[in-house]
Amino acid sequence: MSATSKPWSSRSIGSTWQHNVFYTLIRCGGKQAAYTLLLFVVLYYTLFRPEVRNRSRPYLKRRFPGRSSLPLLRDSYLLTLGIGRTLVDRAILGISGPDNINVSLEGTSMLAKLLAEGRGLILITAHVGCWQLAMSSLTALDTQVNLLIHREEGDLDRHFFEHGSDKPPYRIIDPAGYLGGTLEMLQVLKNRELLCIMGDRSMGSERSTVSVAFLGGSVKLPISPYKIASATGAPVAVIFPHRSKSGVYELQVAKIMRIPGNLGRSERAYLPFAREFITVLEAFVAENPYQFFNFYDMWAKQGEG
Amino acid sequence: MNTKEKLKKILIEDLNLEELTPEDIDDNAPLFGEGLGLDSLDAVELVVIIQKHFGIEIKNMEEGREAFRSVEALAAYVDQRLATT
Repeated sequence: MSATSKPWSSRSIGSTWQHNVFYTLIRCGGKQAAYTLLLFVVLYYTLFRPEVRNRSRPYLKRRFPGRSSLPLLRDSYLLTLGIGRTLVDRAILGISGPDNINVSLEGTSMLAKLLAEGRGLILITAHVGCWQLAMSSLTALDTQVNLLIHREEGDLDRHFFEHGSDKPPYRIIDPAGYLGGTLEMLQVLKNRELLCIMGDRSMGSERSTVSVAFLGGSVKLPISPYKIASATGAPVAVIFPHRSKSGVYELQVAKIMRIPGNLGRSERAYLPFAREFITVLEAFVAENPYQFFNFYDMWAKQGEG
Repeated sequence: MNTKEKLKKILIEDLNLEELTPEDIDDNAPLFGEGLGLDSLDAVELVVIIQKHFGIEIKNMEEGREAFRSVEALAAYVDQRLATT
């Protein structure tokens, strides 16, 4: 799970001053002003920054096969607007407080029940909706939330809690750390805590991935969530947050998985679980086409994308 | 068979390192990266292996971090845990 040689970047396409304009606007003009400015900023980026269109094209071409250039341009606008809105919402939550953003968690009692088994709980999610913001709703489960997330040097967009002096609602485990954060992940599960892992991106190690079919092509998914679940006996819940309307997010439990123990070292043993995950992810993007935020070619063979 | 030899045999068998013999494994070589060449997910497997073969549950991963440095360190950890149980 080395974080090197990964085909994606977590860096924002905006510069520091552009981010600061939005933060200032939220403070002085309110959230509607920020949403309005976003419409024009996204339009500018879509029309005049080809790299923005290029980054969204691999996904859009597969999600909307056969689309001609003009509708694809509109799709690119809507997808970029989708991520823009989640970033604005994240800033609104950090700057204006929780009264301005509503995050609801469906299935709280189900997750509480899984946690009560005493083996911790692995939540697998994807780069959809505003997953970081939705994670904040997990505090309702009354246990430490741990998030496996890699931040690059030079990342400009802030986590919502970084706008104020609030304590982070989750602890971050860096996959670029010692042994890819594996020992820390095992530790939090031993402590009966929540561990959130992205199931849709690998961190660069070919051996830790399996190939599965997604939107008509083959993508590589990490096996680490399933391997860790197999080793620890922790139950797995697949959760997807989506923005249902302005300032409102819903976090839904899409699937519960039980991974048998002693599955061993071979990646193939974990393939059925990665397939189950991608099936529910595909259903999610069918319903929420503009809330899937992997802006790189997931389908490119290693070294191409 | 001492703990080090047993560990080497178990690592080869359980981690499918068929190209290696116990003699090929240097006692002090790092288990991960250069050395034995294990990767981060093998650490998960290693935790399971230690529990399965020695009945030792690594509860504190800081201890695991220290123990996973080499076969020598891991054997010392196992011996110490077995001696205190």
